This record gives sequence, C-alpha cells and structure tokens, in this order.
Amino acid sequence: MNRSTLFIEFVKKLGTDLSAVIQVVEEAMAPMQARLSVPNFFPLLIFCGAIAILTGCSQPATKEAQPKATAKQEAPPTYFKVDPSTAATLTGSVRYTGPRPARKRIDMSGDPACVEAHHGRAYDESIVENRNRTLANVFVYIKSGLEGKKFETPKTPVTIDQQGCWFRPRVLGIQTGQTLQVTNSDPVTHNIHPLAEVNREWNHSQGQGDPPISRRFVKPEVMIRVKCNIHSWMHAFIGVLDHPYFAVTGEDGTFEIHNVPPGDYVLAAWQEELGTQEQKISVAPSGKIETNFTFKGK
Amino acid sequence: MIRAALFGLEIALLAIALGCGGNHQYGNAASTNEKPIGAPIQIETPLGLPPVPIPANNPETAEGVALGRKLFYEKKVSRDGTVACASCHNPLLGFTDGQKHSTGIGGKTGTRNAPTVINAAYFPSLFWDGRAASLEDQADKPISNPVEMGQSQGHDVWVKKLGADPVYKAAFQKAFGPGPATIGKVTKALAAFERTVISGNSPFDRYEFGGDKKALSAAATRGLAIFRDPKKGNCATCHTIGAKYALFSDGKFHNIGVGVNGEGELTDLGRYSETKVESDKGAFKTPILRDVAETAPYMHDGSLKTLKSVVDFYAGGGNSNPYLDKEIKEIKLTGRERADLVEFLKSLTGEMPPRVGPPGIAETTSLK
Ligand SMILES: [Cu+2]
Repeated sequence: MNRSTLFIEFVKKLGTDLSAVIQVVEEAMAPMQARLSVPNFFPLLIFCGAIAILTGCSQPATKEAQPKATAKQEAPPTYFKVDPSTAATLTGSVRYTGPRPARKRIDMSGDPACVEAHHGRAYDESIVENRNRTLANVFVYIKSGLEGKKFETPKTPVTIDQQGCWFRPRVLGIQTGQTLQVTNSDPVTHNIHPLAEVNREWNHSQGQGDPPISRRFVKPEVMIRVKCNIHSWMHAFIGVLDHPYFAVTGEDGTFEIHNVPPGDYVLAAWQEELGTQEQKISVAPSGKIETNFTFKGK
Repeated sequence: MIRAALFGLEIALLAIALGCGGNHQYGNAASTNEKPIGAPIQIETPLGLPPVPIPANNPETAEGVALGRKLFYEKKVSRDGTVACASCHNPLLGFTDGQKHSTGIGGKTGTRNAPTVINAAYFPSLFWDGRAASLEDQADKPISNPVEMGQSQGHDVWVKKLGADPVYKAAFQKAFGPGPATIGKVTKALAAFERTVISGNSPFDRYEFGGDKKALSAAATRGLAIFRDPKKGNCATCHTIGAKYALFSDGKFHNIGVGVNGEGELTDLGRYSETKVESDKGAFKTPILRDVAETAPYMHDGSLKTLKSVVDFYAGGGNSNPYLDKEIKEIKLTGRERADLVEFLKSLTGEMPPRVGPPGIAETTSLK
C-alpha cells in the first residue's frame, strides 16, 4: 500500500465523500496547472490551492482589497506660482473660410430610445460653423514653452454627460490627474470608450440611473478620441495637458486663456476634421495677446 | 515529479478533510448512516434537460424530498425565525427574490444577488464563486451566514430544537430512519428537494429539441441565431446549448466586467477568493439562463435591472479591467438585433414540476 492509498483510506475513515473532495481539488488544480508550469513548486501550489479551498469551506468570500503598490514617500512637488502682477491673457478667434459644411442627419433609428431621448433631429457636428463665420469646438492650447513648470491639479472635476445619445460637450480639455466625471442622463445604456493611445484605454458601461463614474488621465495626450461602444454616432474628444492653458471655442468662435506667465510659446488650435495649426507667440508681462487662426476647410 | 505531485495532492486532501469535516462542529459531515431510507423516486426530466445527477450517498426518496421541501419553506431554520430559504429563493420570483442584494435576518443585506435554485442540480459547483462542490455542501452555508439566516453559533442547537418538534421528528425518521435530526440530514434533504426544482420544456426546448418550429416567434428565432453566432452575440460560448439538451451554462467562471466601479477597480474578487489565481479576479460562475425573464435583477451584484440592460451591457463590451475574459468585446448589434435577443431570452421560461411550491399548496397545479 503506497502513501496515496493509505491516505484515501484515512479520508474514508473520516467519513468524507472522497469523490467530492477530489472534484474540488481537481477544479482548484486545473487553472493552476494551466497557468503555471513550474514542476518543482507543484506540491506547494496544490497546498496553496487547498488552503484557498479550506478558507472557502466555512465562510463566504471575504472582500479583499486589491493589492496596491506601496506608495513611494515623495516630497510634495513644488508647483509653479504665476505672479499675478505679470500674468498675461491670450485671446483670439478661429475663423472659417471653407465651404459651408453639409447638414448631415444622424440616423439614431438603430436605438429607438435614442430617437426619443434626443428630442428632435440630430445633425453631424464634426465641423460646427458659427453665424459669424467662425468655428466652435476648436481646442486652443499652449503646445510648448511651459517645459519644466509644474502646475497644480484642479480639485474640481470636468464633466462629460451622455445626453440624448450624444456626448456633451463634444470637445473638452482636462489636466493630468484631474477627475473626469462621466454621467448618463439618458434612459438607455451607454458604454463610453476613450481610445487613448498614450494613456490607458478603457471603456465603461453606464445604464439608466447609474451613478457617475470618475477617471483620470495621467499623461498629456492631445486629443483622445472618445466613442460609445453601443451608439456608433457618438463621438467626443478630450485634450489632456499638464498645465491649465487651454480653451474650447464656443458659439462666437473666440477663446480666452488667462493667468499666463510671460514667455515664448507655441499656441495651437485643433479641429477634429481640419487638423492642427500652430503659431509662435511672445507674451510680455501683463500683456493681452490676440492670436487669430483661420481654417480653410478640407 | 509524480511522487512530489502525489504528495502535494495528499496535503491538499488533508487540508480539505480537516477544513470541511473537522474544524467546526457544525460542518456538513455526511456520514453513511445518514443515508435516506425512504421510497426511491425518479426525477422526471423535461424536454431539453439531461438526467439530473444524483450523488450515491443521497438518493432521491419521496420522504427525503418532502422533508427538504418542508425545510426549504421553514422560517424556523433562521436564528430569529424570520427567514426561510424561500425568502430569497421565492418560487413566485423564479426562485430568486427580485432584489439587488438579498435581505437576511434583522434586515441585514449581503453583497451579492440571490441566484436561482432552478436547475442548480446541474451545476458542478455552487455559489457565484463556486465555493461549494455540491448542493449538500452548499445548503448549510446561508443558514450559518450571519447576514443571511444567522445561525453563526453553529447548527447543533437549532437542529436539535427543530428535530424535537413532533412533526419534524416524524419527518426526519421517515426520511432517514431512527436517530436525531442532524445538519447532515438537513442538508441532504434540502439538496434532494432542490434537485427536483427543474425547469425545461420551454418554447425554446420545443423548438430546438421537440421539432416544433412554431414554438418560437420570428423575433425569438432570430434572437437564437444571434445568441449562437460567435461573430454576433457569441452568448452560447459560455451559456451552452448542446445537441440533445441545453444547460445554458458552462459551469465555469468568467470576468465579464461586472462589479468594476467608477474608478475602474473590482469591488468583488469572485472566484479569486477561492483559487487565488490572479486571472480569476472578478470572475463569477456562468448562470443558467432558464426562466431568466423571471429572475431580475441580473449579474452577481444585481446591478442590471432588465434583460435589455444585460444585452446592452454585453453589446458595449462590458467594463474594461485587467482580468476581462477574452470573449468579452464590443459587439456590433443593431437595436433590432438586441431586441431579438431579449425575445429569445424570454422564450427560455419553462415549465416547473408541480410539487416545488410551499408544502400543502399548489400540490397539483403548476405555479405558473
Ligand atoms: Cu451610447
């Protein structure tokens, strides 16, 4: 009689249903065998599995915190302080000289609840031309010239809402580490999916009445394209910067960026269909610098 | 190497034997003298289901099932006499409770959604995390759980008290022969009853296995095709449909992204709590889909309220997390295709045997 048979006898004496026990062990072992092929540790692994099973025998699973990397004790970063007595303001306007964008109807009939939720017809907004021949939804930002300066992360979140099966706003800026709050005002399920390339890509389902979700982007990335995995027509764009010097043009096509420290910068204007334009600017202390961009169309 | 592996197995078995059988007085010690002695019965299998697996040490008997049924609806099983198994596994709600999370004694709530008892007899393991290997092994855990039925001090006292009741005393002796009531007998009787809670012969079964092509509506038929198509719904990969019968569960554990909070973290580690295998984090047992239209809300945390929201959840590719199952991805489904899937899921509502409701009522008529 070898050790194993002896052991089986022992289990029988205990009155334990051996087949059930073996089933448990096999079940516990299968994933381990599949995933780990380190023969020398094999008994140890089974033992660990047994401990796991043992814990599960009497009590339901206890919640276990996800292991977190131990935070390094870093000195709080020194943020760049803008001197209010020399801070400048950047203003400007984004003109449009291209052909009037065609009014393209968005077909939401794929989700009847969206047709209802949108209240009226939905039109493509990839180029929004204002009445005064300017463009809305242009992301204007300081592209370079701030290197070496560290800016504090705002405590207030930036919100993107899913409303009428549409992202509102369509274009938004956020600082690295700042909270992006995603809400769903619709009676339908959305699945927001920022197609980040520098930051981690993720997607999250939000049904009717679900609470807001909060995420952060840790690295600068201009722009992150956002889609809804359920509604193919839903798009948004997020510009992530490690400084607060950005703005999105509105109904009059203008922008204003405040509290800018004096210096030489590259100011950029991004439009989702028309690309990016850049201009070099020199900002004198307490200056008011006007920079205008003109997009000619595709 | 083989010797080493065998030795490991022994240690594992020893740990389990001690853990489940010996380390507490109220463990589910199934000994041979607790074998049912009543009249053997056969569980009739409806269209669409295989024979019910019956463990050798707990054969189905008329008396054992009757006792189990009585116990299943017995509130005295709980610490304060307010909660029966049927409180959370209500036959009128598809043997669930219609709640996001179940309420136990004193209004205490758990963190998971009550799974249905229907067809649980076919599962290779029980609970959302699979921590029980059999219905017998499962039955005493909600009884001793402090937030469920609250007998956390052990089973000896309440079993003795219940067993002293003349009606129960007779019922236990008819089912198991002379001797006092024990937790082993209680769990065997409950398991024997639960094995009779079988639902099949649904419109889907009549269509798929009964040759009745009119049993499903056009929408449900389209939904079935989407359910099966790996390039469409891809549902049948885990919610299996066989050639002769359909269990609608692979009995395995998958992370489909449920229970990921707004910050992207898992709120319940699920199967990992049992296996400590990294990739099991956030994985939960594939539920059987029969009678699914009656068991809302859905998922292990009850987070999805309707079948439509379940289909939308899958269509969107769930919630990303580091352990997401590779089968979970964005699915391009039109609104009509999603509606068709819901229609198909509704066709899985089957027929229940007559004697699964509370004892004394609905003896001959089906609950539905
Ligand atoms: Cu959407």
